[in-house]
Amino acid sequence: MSLADYQTDMEGCSRCSSCKWVPYNQIKSWRYARVCPSIVRHHFHAYSGSGRMITGLSILHGRSELNETIADLIYRCQLCGACDVSCKVYRDDIDLTEVLLELRSTCVEQGLVTPEHMSLIDGLKREDNVFGEPKTERGTWAEGLEVKDINRERVEVIFHAGCRYSYDKDLWGVARGALTLLKMAQVDVGIAGKEESCCGGRVYELGYRGEAMNYAEDVRARVKASGASTMVTACADGYAAFKYIYPRIGIELGIEVMHVSEYLQRLVQNGQLRITKSVPAQVTYHDPCHLGRMGEPFLGEWKDDKLLRPMRLKRAGRNGIYDAPRHLLKSIPGIELSEMERIREYAWCCGSGGGVLEAYPEFASWTATERLKEALSTGADAIVTACPWCERIFRDTATDAGIDIQVYDLTELVLKAVEQP
Amino acid sequence: MPIKGATKIRNKLMKIVGTDALEEQAPRAGTYASSLHPVSVENTLCMVRPKNTEEVQRIVQLANEMTFNVVPVSSGPPHVHGATVPAAPGIIMDLSSMQTIRRVDRRNKVAIIEPGVTFPDLKAAAEGEGLKVLMPLLPRASKSVIASYLEREPITIPKYHWDMTDPMLCTELVFGTGDFFRTGSAAGPGSLEEQWAKGGAQKNPLGPAQTDFMRLLQGAQGSMGVVTWASVKLERTPKMRRLYSVSDSRLERLIELSYAMLRRRLADEFILLNHSSLASIFANDLGKENLSTKTLPDFTLLYCLSGYDEYPEQRIAYQETDIARIAQSCAQKPRRGVGEMSGQRALEVIDNPSPEPYWKQRMKGAYLEIFFLTTLDRVPTFFGEILDLMAGHDKPSSELGIYIQPIQQGRSCHVEFDLFYDPSDRAEIQRAENVFREASNRFADLGAFFSRPYGSWSEIAYARCPDTVQALKMVKGIVDPQGVFNHGRICF
Amino acid sequence: MLTRDTYKELEEAVGQEHVSQEPAVLDGYAWQPTYNDSPVKWVIRPEAVVLPKTTEEVQAIVKACNRHGLKFKAFSTGWGVWNGPTTEGVILLDLCRMNSILEIDDKNMLAVVEPYVCGAQLQAEAMKVGLNTHIIGAGPNCSPLAAATSMAGVGWDGIYMSHSARNVLGVEWVLPNGELLRLGTLGSGAGWFCGDGPGPSLRGIMRGYVGAQSGLGVFTKCAIKLFHWPGPQQMKLDGLLFDARADLPKNVKFYLCFFPNMSSLSHAVYRIGNAEIGYNAFRIALGAYLFLGMPRLYRKLLKTKALRALFEEVFKYCWEIMLVADSEQEMEFQERVLREIVSEAKGLPLDMMLAPPLGSMLLMNVLRSTIPPLAFRIGGLFGSALPRNDAWDSQANWAEVSEGIKKEWVEKGGIMDDMIDNPFMVNYEHNAWAHCEEVFLYDAKNQKHLESLESVYMDFTIAAIEQCMESMMGFNPRIRKLISPLAGNYNRWQKAISQTLDPNAAADAGLYTGEEDFDFSRMDPDKRKRLEGLLDKHKWPESTPPR
Repeated sequence: MSLADYQTDMEGCSRCSSCKWVPYNQIKSWRYARVCPSIVRHHFHAYSGSGRMITGLSILHGRSELNETIADLIYRCQLCGACDVSCKVYRDDIDLTEVLLELRSTCVEQGLVTPEHMSLIDGLKREDNVFGEPKTERGTWAEGLEVKDINRERVEVIFHAGCRYSYDKDLWGVARGALTLLKMAQVDVGIAGKEESCCGGRVYELGYRGEAMNYAEDVRARVKASGASTMVTACADGYAAFKYIYPRIGIELGIEVMHVSEYLQRLVQNGQLRITKSVPAQVTYHDPCHLGRMGEPFLGEWKDDKLLRPMRLKRAGRNGIYDAPRHLLKSIPGIELSEMERIREYAWCCGSGGGVLEAYPEFASWTATERLKEALSTGADAIVTACPWCERIFRDTATDAGIDIQVYDLTELVLKAVEQP
Repeated sequence: MPIKGATKIRNKLMKIVGTDALEEQAPRAGTYASSLHPVSVENTLCMVRPKNTEEVQRIVQLANEMTFNVVPVSSGPPHVHGATVPAAPGIIMDLSSMQTIRRVDRRNKVAIIEPGVTFPDLKAAAEGEGLKVLMPLLPRASKSVIASYLEREPITIPKYHWDMTDPMLCTELVFGTGDFFRTGSAAGPGSLEEQWAKGGAQKNPLGPAQTDFMRLLQGAQGSMGVVTWASVKLERTPKMRRLYSVSDSRLERLIELSYAMLRRRLADEFILLNHSSLASIFANDLGKENLSTKTLPDFTLLYCLSGYDEYPEQRIAYQETDIARIAQSCAQKPRRGVGEMSGQRALEVIDNPSPEPYWKQRMKGAYLEIFFLTTLDRVPTFFGEILDLMAGHDKPSSELGIYIQPIQQGRSCHVEFDLFYDPSDRAEIQRAENVFREASNRFADLGAFFSRPYGSWSEIAYARCPDTVQALKMVKGIVDPQGVFNHGRICF
Repeated sequence: MLTRDTYKELEEAVGQEHVSQEPAVLDGYAWQPTYNDSPVKWVIRPEAVVLPKTTEEVQAIVKACNRHGLKFKAFSTGWGVWNGPTTEGVILLDLCRMNSILEIDDKNMLAVVEPYVCGAQLQAEAMKVGLNTHIIGAGPNCSPLAAATSMAGVGWDGIYMSHSARNVLGVEWVLPNGELLRLGTLGSGAGWFCGDGPGPSLRGIMRGYVGAQSGLGVFTKCAIKLFHWPGPQQMKLDGLLFDARADLPKNVKFYLCFFPNMSSLSHAVYRIGNAEIGYNAFRIALGAYLFLGMPRLYRKLLKTKALRALFEEVFKYCWEIMLVADSEQEMEFQERVLREIVSEAKGLPLDMMLAPPLGSMLLMNVLRSTIPPLAFRIGGLFGSALPRNDAWDSQANWAEVSEGIKKEWVEKGGIMDDMIDNPFMVNYEHNAWAHCEEVFLYDAKNQKHLESLESVYMDFTIAAIEQCMESMMGFNPRIRKLISPLAGNYNRWQKAISQTLDPNAAADAGLYTGEEDFDFSRMDPDKRKRLEGLLDKHKWPESTPPR
């Protein structure tokens, strides 16, 4: 693909600016009416979804050049997909996220990259993870858990930890907890340990499509070799990569892929896990972008006029995972769940996606602060999420900004509430 | 001081309007002037009565050519605000003989009238079509409808006051340059008849295009241009009407009730009066003794519920019930009628111009009125203030009339304090004038908005908004560059 | 031409990070396809874009423009070709950082807003205190301040909440010379509650039926009227648009009423107006809901004669009306009156609340006017024939006339086939007066459509003049030059106002007073003759009105 392939999408922009706003029927206040962190922070229209499309059009029409300033503008976007959702309330023929991804790819092709992204890629190439940490230490998080190694044994279910859970010690508890729950439910589960590699999702979003393809192929091979019928991941980034990016680039894993929240809900519904213990807490739930709107599966290719594309192929964020986490939370005795105003497919981003955490940490932190303030506005004491990247930035921002709020992963609360076998 | 070229001017004017329509004598003192808005009739060269728009235009063109002041008047006397006598050498252009009602359109609830049409004239014509006129409270019988609306006199039905220009719609006018213009949808294309043939009715007051020219004339006291006809809003005459009153010793409680009712657009006529104003308006029915002895309640809200063509009883019934509920929450109890007077009789009074003597003169023979705009919640502050001022000047509070008229559907209100006095008593005159002056200044300090800055209020009002003054002068320089219209008035 | 030194002045005024001359950033303001009848959807690129935060910063920018011979243009939500510069060398003031609701005065029913508050935000906050705001037909993404001070102001709720031009109270206005003017009570330190006076009202020069499109400066704060809302303080709903499911409040109802012909519809509209019921009321073709909501089905429908006839003939005269009430009795009364009137007019009222999924979808989308951006969904751009408004009968007449024009162009293949009759009609203030615009669609990728546009608009213009209505496309400098002499030479006065208030011609006044010659040579000779005849017939001879 190239930018020219999206000319019709870009020329379709009517400049209504819906991409900046929560879908209008769901605007409940002045304060929480806007949905795009980039435009709220940087103001010039070019920082909105529409603005970036127009930027692409301007370049395509030869009216301006892709230079460092414009590349910087393109990268100051979490690729959270909120603009796409709002746009698709009204349009069938514009795939905004696709255009944004294409702009990234174009930047990389032309060598316009940020040093931070370059560093990430270098680390990834060396150590197969986005932190550049030693590959040999990837499986350390699971030490002592007595779980099958899929490199040696066949399993029914693969648990994919992801780079963040593998290397962020503060969050190991979540990955370990998830695995513990699966074992409690007597699921035949295994992990790849140090052989697990990055899913490639994050680098795809940075515009490094070649690298992303490499990792996708690697994952596919490992999955095939495992004999598993299901892959469960606790990382929302990984989930979106497996469900959307991989099929998009022609990689079919050939197994059922589930996020741990949906899998846990299945286990509860089947009676394999029983939630009985009280966990008193006033919480609100943050929908991770890559679990929600960006986690909506790839629906299939449509090469013809998008105006004629069947609705079943229009990816608008509606079919992401929103309900499973909520059902789980509501089933835990003692949990009082209050909803924020911006939820589900129109949730405000945590701030860390799209390479922003790496290249523009202050912007990422600002975005997270906005979200934490919104969480507190519900009266909740804690924010619950289901993604390690959200969790990490919420924790760091709460500490740095002195915001008094607890940050939980959904899995932690389920683990507390589940009856021991 | 003799006016330069006076004879030549008179001769040319005679050629325009005819000898019968020109009066050389200066108007009687009191006819066009009042003591508190002193004007000199020495500046008045003559008075002319044009019969049509062409004559008006030719007069204005002559004024530009020969540089004299023109003061348009359309109501009959007396004129109490002092805006109708030239402050600079010139003429009075009396439009009261332009009395044609060009059209009354029942379907579109609109009439097209000339400046000399009075409220009684228009009422009679409108009633024939099942329509009612939107009136201020008991105007004088000689009051021109166009003049009233141009002055932004408040109408008694707040829910029909959608914008400050209401009930005025479109106009034909002559600017100070002598140019004709038409405003709103009357501007064109097409003549009135051509527009009517296509379903037009001159009902859109906005424009034409990107300027609301008519707004420049409203409130201008004739200093921007003169209106030669206007389309004005009418409403359907209700099939049923009932008048209610709610009285209270505390104004605040009636204001609370008013807010709740106005918000929901319950009620048509909606008027707040104190005992003195109530006594004056209904002197013939409630008894003249109320003029000298305080027996009526301190404050009374009068409102009228109306039923229109469809299920009028049911309309009134639900409004009655809903208001009763609101009133109960405000610890109020509405009653039919006003004291011993039936609602029907009260409506007959309110629906008509004031019979003589003019209602504000009934208490003591004369009055000074202070009126301004504010919001309902601020009225008690001004009430408290004027009581203090009156006490400070030994003026009894019984000589104070209060009239509060919600406007803009309840978003603001016209507040009027009438200081009644005996014109034959010098001491009373002095007290009234002292209170008037002090109150005017004090109220302005408290945020009263003299939207219609007659006489001395002009200085008070415009001192507070120098940027507005500068802009107004710029606009005046466009539509009346030679300053022929009512020179020396407001801030010009 | 923006020199380096002048650029530095702009940076000093608003901060370095709030000025840009980067071409791709500037193009974010130069892509304007909406209502753009040129084949090229780029408009003139601004010279620079600045992002002021305060009135003082706006003044500083405007004064700098005056000093250095530059032009400026204010820009808020920016949807529509009129937002772009009309000439080179324009400094665009993107007011997105001025986005606060400064006050909601519950008692006196007004709100004070800055330019970048959108209608949805204001409505959400107003409803919390039992109030509502007029939202323009373009949608809740638009700026109430811009609608009130600078643009048009038509909305679906006009029956109860009037027109933006009628809802203006106090205004804070940066004049073209950079000085501050505060209208009405604001200027006198008396609050925000009145925009007129003392004495003559300067609201009169601020705007008329439409606004000056920044041709007279920048409006930085505005008080606008709010209106009673007896419904829920917050509509609880799931879904986004067509899937919106709200808890239906008992005191809000939504009816679709169908009439056999325009005469019946008009009869009902007048009676409903006199009865003073209705909170939202408008006419949109039933087929329009289909092409907005189900464009694929709509395309099939266009080819199906019988179904098409159903929409084009049977359901042609559709009037939608929302009723709200504070009490059960009030709602009973309104419904009874509505049913009687509709029945008397030989119409059919359908209570949409009997079908909750449909009712709640319609209710929410109408209440917040969220449907309009769907107009682009079917794949075209759209235009509309917008004449000046007057009594309902004149607008009904216009609907029928403009339908005929559309039919001709659809048959010629000059515009998209949208079942022809697509008027958007509303009335104001319980039918004090009314609005009609005939919407048409065209495909920007269809060369024939692009080539036809000018002729389509000219046909509408000719018809508007024949129907004694001024074409609202008076934003167009070529149309303005034609129309102004037919309506008192209004542009002569507007130019005088512009020159007086803006002696340095710093404001981009192209859409306010600009005039260009119309190229008659491209017109069909017969139509040219007809137009010239009309212009000659209706022009004001030497500043006297037509007789």
